[in-house]
Amino acid sequence: MSATGRERVPIESGYFSVPESDAEAPLLFGSRCKKCQETFFPRREVCASCLHRETTDVSIGPRGTLYTWTYLYVPLFNSQRADDGGYAVGQVDLPEGPRIQAVLRGGPDDFAIGMEMQLELETLRQDDEGRDVVVYRFRPRSEGGSE
Amino acid sequence: MSFDDVAVLGVGMTRFGVYPDLSPLDLAREAGFLALDDAALGFGDVAEAFVGYLFGGPMTGVRAMKEFGLTGLPVTHVENASATGLVCFRDAAWAVASGRSPIAMAIGFDKMTEAAGSTPRAGGGGRDAIDNVILPTAYFSLWAMRRMHERGTKPEHFARIAAKNWNNGALTPKSHRQPDHRITVEEVLAARTLAEPMTAMMTCPVDDGAACAILGSVELARKLNPGRPVVRVKAAVLQSETYTPGHTFLGPVVGPASMTRDTANQAYEQSGIDPRDVDVALCHDAFAVEELQYYELLGFCAEGDAEKLLVDGETEIGGRIPFNTDGGLIARGHPGGPTGLAQIHELTVQLRREAGRRQVEGARTGLAHLVGGGSVCTVCLLQRV
Repeated sequence: MSATGRERVPIESGYFSVPESDAEAPLLFGSRCKKCQETFFPRREVCASCLHRETTDVSIGPRGTLYTWTYLYVPLFNSQRADDGGYAVGQVDLPEGPRIQAVLRGGPDDFAIGMEMQLELETLRQDDEGRDVVVYRFRPRSEGGSE
Repeated sequence: MSFDDVAVLGVGMTRFGVYPDLSPLDLAREAGFLALDDAALGFGDVAEAFVGYLFGGPMTGVRAMKEFGLTGLPVTHVENASATGLVCFRDAAWAVASGRSPIAMAIGFDKMTEAAGSTPRAGGGGRDAIDNVILPTAYFSLWAMRRMHERGTKPEHFARIAAKNWNNGALTPKSHRQPDHRITVEEVLAARTLAEPMTAMMTCPVDDGAACAILGSVELARKLNPGRPVVRVKAAVLQSETYTPGHTFLGPVVGPASMTRDTANQAYEQSGIDPRDVDVALCHDAFAVEELQYYELLGFCAEGDAEKLLVDGETEIGGRIPFNTDGGLIARGHPGGPTGLAQIHELTVQLRREAGRRQVEGARTGLAHLVGGGSVCTVCLLQRV
């Protein structure tokens, strides 16, 4: 359940967790190679690095470091919000290894390379059954919000 | 017959632009006949064809070939996103080098104007709907922001590349964008910002077109067009992504920048050509930041020296290594399938020294580079015999 009291469902299953409470941070679903320990996002069956055929499911995040970012002056695809003047995207390095490309919460003046980031869920819309459809994004950790 | 004996027999292309009244097959026919005429050949002489396009559906390549006649020739469809045209060229060169086909056609066409916005962005493979928002504009801007952070690069550097390529477009009859006045850095910077730090004038247009190259032996080239300088294929290399730390897997453009360095090194090794021997280079400048990075990744300067190479004017016509002499993707255009073959067109014209006002003096060796979908890279080297 979210603060709205509605059930939350991911935009696509298999990529990230949707905790019962929105006080809890989501995690990303990755894979770790059983042989060389390289970690990947999203999940994969075969290690992209050493080609070993066995990986283990791991949950990674929710914290990372901003590697790069930009702010796009076009409406966010899929947001269905007419007031969306633009949006930020970035790449966030997780301590587990993967670099994650995602939308960032904030305006054009809110970001600096190297800043600490936090994964969170954003509600995109309601589905036919009245549930909140959510996707992950990052926000600067210094900003308020759930940890 | 060795790879060294493969020559470009002829080239042809439509001017890239917006053609609401022409079909992709109309465009293909125009480019194909221009190339055949340039080679002094007929379609009946073509033993094999490699047809590249991004949009149009299965078997469009065979339909395009039927426009020229039904001769029974083998036709292979090629799709590698932006790199498609150069991959057609590579496969045609190897078809000739292997001895399988004495004369091969590489042809590409697309109508990006009809494709853009007509379908939801497919991402990488259908399961990427989660990542639909990372557009190429964003990806390359992420690259630019990182470079600004690491190297102190300024938006003026990207603007300078864009202005150079727009102005080269003005010298190129087949270029989509042919500005009627000298484009300045200030004008590029003043254009609408798409994504920090990229303005609309730092990116390629959406357009249509077709381009074609005919390949055969050096000996045949001499016989068909006596007295005309022969342009030979020295390398045609294709690579896909190698895993690197920090690899991103979700989104339409995801590959590592190092892919260009690896592919170029393979082409240099295969041909014995050193970057210092290259007189003219064409690269994937869909976004201006790319060209700056490729100065280094293609081996034309040391890492961190790209801004100096640019500011010293070395990549302008008249400089040490002119880049995108025909305007590049930014001005000449980037319909998709034909883009790489437009590069082959420009290199061939330059190496024959038929480029008029944009001629690189004494051009002997040329390089063409494209990346496709961030996931593949091709580097081709051509040399005047």
